[in-house]
Amino acid sequence: MKDTVIHATNTIAIRHEMRNIARNLLEIQAVDLILGWKKGILPNKSAPAFIHRPDQVDDLIFDEFCYHNLTKFLLGCPDRQDRIADNEDRLKTAIFVKGCDSRSLIGLIQDNQITRENVYIIGIDCPGLKEEHNTTILAKKCETCYTATPVEYDILIDSPDKRPENPNGLKGFQAHRDLAKIENMPPAERGAYWQQMFQSCIRCYACRNVCPVCSCKECCFDQTLPNWVGKGNNTSDNGFYHLVRAMHVAGRCVSCGECERSCPMHLPVMLLNSKLGLSIEELFDEPPASMNFDVTATLNHFKPEDPEEFM
Amino acid sequence: MKTIAKTQIDSILKALAVPYNLYIPVAGAFTQTPGREGLENASQFRLYQEGLPLHWTTNTCLSPKDLLFPQTEEMYTIVSHGKTVEIQEKAIGHKPTILFGIRSCDIESIDCMDRVFLEKGFEDTYYKTRRPRTILFALSCTTHEDTCFCTSMGVNPQSSPSADVQISDLGDTFSFTAQTLGGEQALAYVDALLSEIIGTGPSGALKTQTPDTLKTPEELKEIALSNAADSTLSSAADSTLSSSSADSPLSSAADSTLNAAADNAGNKTSAASPLPTDPMIITVNSDGVSEKLENMFEHPLWDEINLPCLGCGACTYVCPTCYCFDINDKTLSHTTINKQRCWDSCMFSDYTRMAGGHNPRPSKKERVRNRFLDKLLYNRQRHGRLFCVGCGRCVAKCPVNLEIATVIQKIQAAEVTPS
Ligand code: SF4
Ligand code: SF4
Ligand code: SF4
Ligand code: SF4
Ligand code: SF4
Repeated sequence: MKDTVIHATNTIAIRHEMRNIARNLLEIQAVDLILGWKKGILPNKSAPAFIHRPDQVDDLIFDEFCYHNLTKFLLGCPDRQDRIADNEDRLKTAIFVKGCDSRSLIGLIQDNQITRENVYIIGIDCPGLKEEHNTTILAKKCETCYTATPVEYDILIDSPDKRPENPNGLKGFQAHRDLAKIENMPPAERGAYWQQMFQSCIRCYACRNVCPVCSCKECCFDQTLPNWVGKGNNTSDNGFYHLVRAMHVAGRCVSCGECERSCPMHLPVMLLNSKLGLSIEELFDEPPASMNFDVTATLNHFKPEDPEEFM
Repeated sequence: MKTIAKTQIDSILKALAVPYNLYIPVAGAFTQTPGREGLENASQFRLYQEGLPLHWTTNTCLSPKDLLFPQTEEMYTIVSHGKTVEIQEKAIGHKPTILFGIRSCDIESIDCMDRVFLEKGFEDTYYKTRRPRTILFALSCTTHEDTCFCTSMGVNPQSSPSADVQISDLGDTFSFTAQTLGGEQALAYVDALLSEIIGTGPSGALKTQTPDTLKTPEELKEIALSNAADSTLSSAADSTLSSSSADSPLSSAADSTLNAAADNAGNKTSAASPLPTDPMIITVNSDGVSEKLENMFEHPLWDEINLPCLGCGACTYVCPTCYCFDINDKTLSHTTINKQRCWDSCMFSDYTRMAGGHNPRPSKKERVRNRFLDKLLYNRQRHGRLFCVGCGRCVAKCPVNLEIATVIQKIQAAEVTPS
């Protein structure tokens, strides 16, 4: 819809506008819930905020630690009983989105998980986030960002500080530095690398539960009949989990980086996503996932001219 | 007091690794991945091997609970032979084990585990086999993560009275103090490597002790008491020398013994008093939190705090006091399965899901409430203590920063109408 643009000159001004918009939406009863961010317990921690009343809007903030992709909460994870959007008994839900978040929102709408009319989208021009463990460096995922300006919004808070366009245009996965490093390893070393990664995983499923693209009502890893993956923690079951997860989000992953940030063991969870993303970029001449409503995710549609190298 | 230069620590490890299964805190493997430099990846306790990168500065990412209560415990194998089945028990090795360099908070968490798995009339076979042959070497904290808040939960980061050996950080050296018979026995293996300054009498003369006279815990307690008495005398005498850490509220009697002894031996060891712990950034008041929670089961607080939870298992898997498990099968072939016991988490929706599909904790509100009531109320009622030791792992690891320190604050601030 891309209706309105509000200009904010810095982070303080962004926060001020966020609170104004939120207060107004609640006061005129256009929405009954606003998904935003608030400050966490430490300076380098922010947290999702659920704003129900005008007196809560002063909790809202925007800073370089607002990683959380709030679109996941529209689904009410993980088992959808508390699904927020599309609940007929309630008013709209308003949601703050950064550029990457807005893409996953489009993805959820394209996948018929939520209805566009039921959400009021407040976009923020993203200046790029910082790493939690080293607050002076740009968050890794922001290096390869395709769009710091949300691709869909009802109202946009625009800011001169926003991240510049990705110099690689829409071929962002090619810029993933760590991919090249892994690809250049001799096979034995590469095998050992993945073994080490799968061994270190504790299968807490944070990387799945946080992912806005993992929208299944019941995840295959939670099914018991059949029991696709054993509950035991071992390299082979863990590896199976990682490969299946990566395949399930392939072509729809929006590089929001939440999976990797959420991993309590700090494992490079996005590597497999990036590899699949890169392969898709190389095989198909299509824009990255969920950049606009006109094109569905690459692996979700078929074109006669699609390459079929394996046939 | 027995000390060793920090640079020589590997000689101790090498010597202990012979008679014991020695587990040490090891840094994770992914610190070299571009963009993740400087990020502490997956540090955890691993079996000693020469050259493993030690992780000394702060606590490990994963707690050592896995070594007493493994994430996956292979219990037994069932093999079918036509109409009969054969059960093959898995043996747990009996070699004594040392967990080297555990922090005070994790030592406390082992006390929590002991209460769950050994007390209340039920003894868990697996835990009971491992626990008595496990020697705990506690390491005092000088620095800490921003997320640590052990001092708010009654834990002293400088000393762990229930550990077998207390290692204190004296700057350039570590000191080793045996606190139990098992600790004495373990230290006897490395005695030749340690400089031996056992303590000082009121006169300032060094007390000596031959390493092969092993003391019972009662005797050790007496020694500790008499040393504490000495330390009052000697630190009064040496008040100009004595470092301020002896007066810090964090230092226990045992620490001041070390300080006093170290001060008196000042001309023999270089840096002599245990380094104090930096003040914590997070502080909470946990007094009376259980009593308050007794009337808060239906409190609206739970409606609010559960909202951001993702229902992952990160908080419970990294928590050193979470002890829930689930028993299931691993199919090896069409005739063979393994029974295994795996960590489970009350934050997963299938944790309480019944066979018929009913779920008594149907939404994350009930699950989040359960987690915090379990830590702060139920285990107090059942096992006589709070089941949070302030290690801060849930503060550091929860992807949405839904952590226990803030929850305790909110409980303390909540208005409760008595029922
Ligand atoms: S896979 Fe990771 S980066 Fe991709 S959408 Fe999911 S959380 Fe975001
Ligand atoms: S978040 Fe990390 S530890 Fe948890 S399942 Fe994913 S990769 Fe494994
Ligand atoms: S509290 Fe945090 S770590 Fe625990 S289940 Fe919820 S989101 Fe995951
Ligand atoms: S609840 Fe959190 S701080 Fe407390 S012991 Fe568990 S992980 Fe540590
Ligand atoms: S919580 Fe306390 S004892 Fe545990 S690592 Fe931190 S400072 Fe040390």
